[in-house]
Amino acid sequence: MKILSLLCGADSFQKQFEAIRPNLYRVAYSWSHNAALADDLVQEALVKALKNTGQLRDPALFNGWVFTILANCWRDHFRQHREMDDIDELDDHLCSTQNTPEDDHSLSQVVTCVRAAVARLPIGQRQVLTLVDLEGFPYIEVASILAIPIGTVMSRLSRARQELKVLLNELAPQQTAHVSHLRRVI
Amino acid sequence: MTLNQSISDELLNSFVDNELESDEKSELLNAIRHDDTLKERVCELRGLKEMVQHAYREPPSCIASPLMKSAHWKHSCIQQNIGRLAACLLLLMLGWWSGWIMSAKSHLANNPREMSVFQAAQSNNVAEKPNNFIVNVSSSNPARLKTALDETENLLEANKRADQPFKVEIVANGGGVNLLRSDVSPFAKRIATMRIKYPNFDYIACKVSISKLQKNGVNVHLLPHTGIVSSAAEEINKRLIQGWDYVRI
Repeated sequence: MKILSLLCGADSFQKQFEAIRPNLYRVAYSWSHNAALADDLVQEALVKALKNTGQLRDPALFNGWVFTILANCWRDHFRQHREMDDIDELDDHLCSTQNTPEDDHSLSQVVTCVRAAVARLPIGQRQVLTLVDLEGFPYIEVASILAIPIGTVMSRLSRARQELKVLLNELAPQQTAHVSHLRRVI
Repeated sequence: MTLNQSISDELLNSFVDNELESDEKSELLNAIRHDDTLKERVCELRGLKEMVQHAYREPPSCIASPLMKSAHWKHSCIQQNIGRLAACLLLLMLGWWSGWIMSAKSHLANNPREMSVFQAAQSNNVAEKPNNFIVNVSSSNPARLKTALDETENLLEANKRADQPFKVEIVANGGGVNLLRSDVSPFAKRIATMRIKYPNFDYIACKVSISKLQKNGVNVHLLPHTGIVSSAAEEINKRLIQGWDYVRI
């Protein structure tokens, strides 16, 4: 029976890992706004999770546990690459201060606009916001994932949403209104 | 102080995120019903939440899926499944053992030569084809560059001891190109020594990264015998398809 449960256990773990991968990728992308980096982070997190499945005592805590690993991978990445982020590899529109006509056009799309605004939030606020909004984690679980007090989660979330509101107003395409008034010539 | 001002943003956020107890929620709902400004604030927060969810519903996918097949990943999967493999092995052994008991016991006893031939065939199968390794370094951090060389040297040394002719190739891109720049690399001498010592060791720089440096006005001088590939990613993909193992530093 133990052998069978071992086989079934490994199977269910594999299924859980497969199922959670898109969620991890979405959150990693919302933190980094770089598809290749997000993919690397998710892969690293999954590799670490696979190596340490023995540490997970309660299967109900699986999601929080994997996201904690992802948050640690992201923190490690930040520490290692703090002084040498390759700016060329980041999405151009997120770093550009001068808006090109193409940027203006794409910013008019809500998705691009919101992503650009989220990318400009301080990383601590960005993490809390995305864990709550994208994954629907309760505040207490976000506090555990990011290893911060719950009060900090609440204040960061509040600041993130205030800031987001301001940024969305800034990033929204301005109605330059070059209205040509038809005047009577004769 | 109006009702709207007395209610903090944190409380409204908790309400929007469904974090409040039912009593608090009822109080707040009552307040919202009687205060239009409060209602507006809640709507705004809900709208923001919806927008964030919408913005990341379909994040752009990454094309670099072949890297999923990297040796590291495979290795971890194998580690994870060790228990499973052990269980299968145990079942197989049980089956084999019961079959062996049931069969004519005397058969093998009378033919010891058959057993020894079988064992010899098994030991021949163990001599598997050795794998080549591609080591990718993309960071200019000297500690990482040293790790890349240490790992490469360990592989080459193990290879030499086992007398297995597999190749080890370092592919440097991004900041990692510094490893192979003669004017910058802190390990130029070590690389030259390694090249003499291990004929199966190659090092390659990414042309894209070199071009970027040149575009920024940096004059790039590479170490002698450094190969150049048009793109590190392409080289890694090519090697993975050829069955090489990938080590990322």
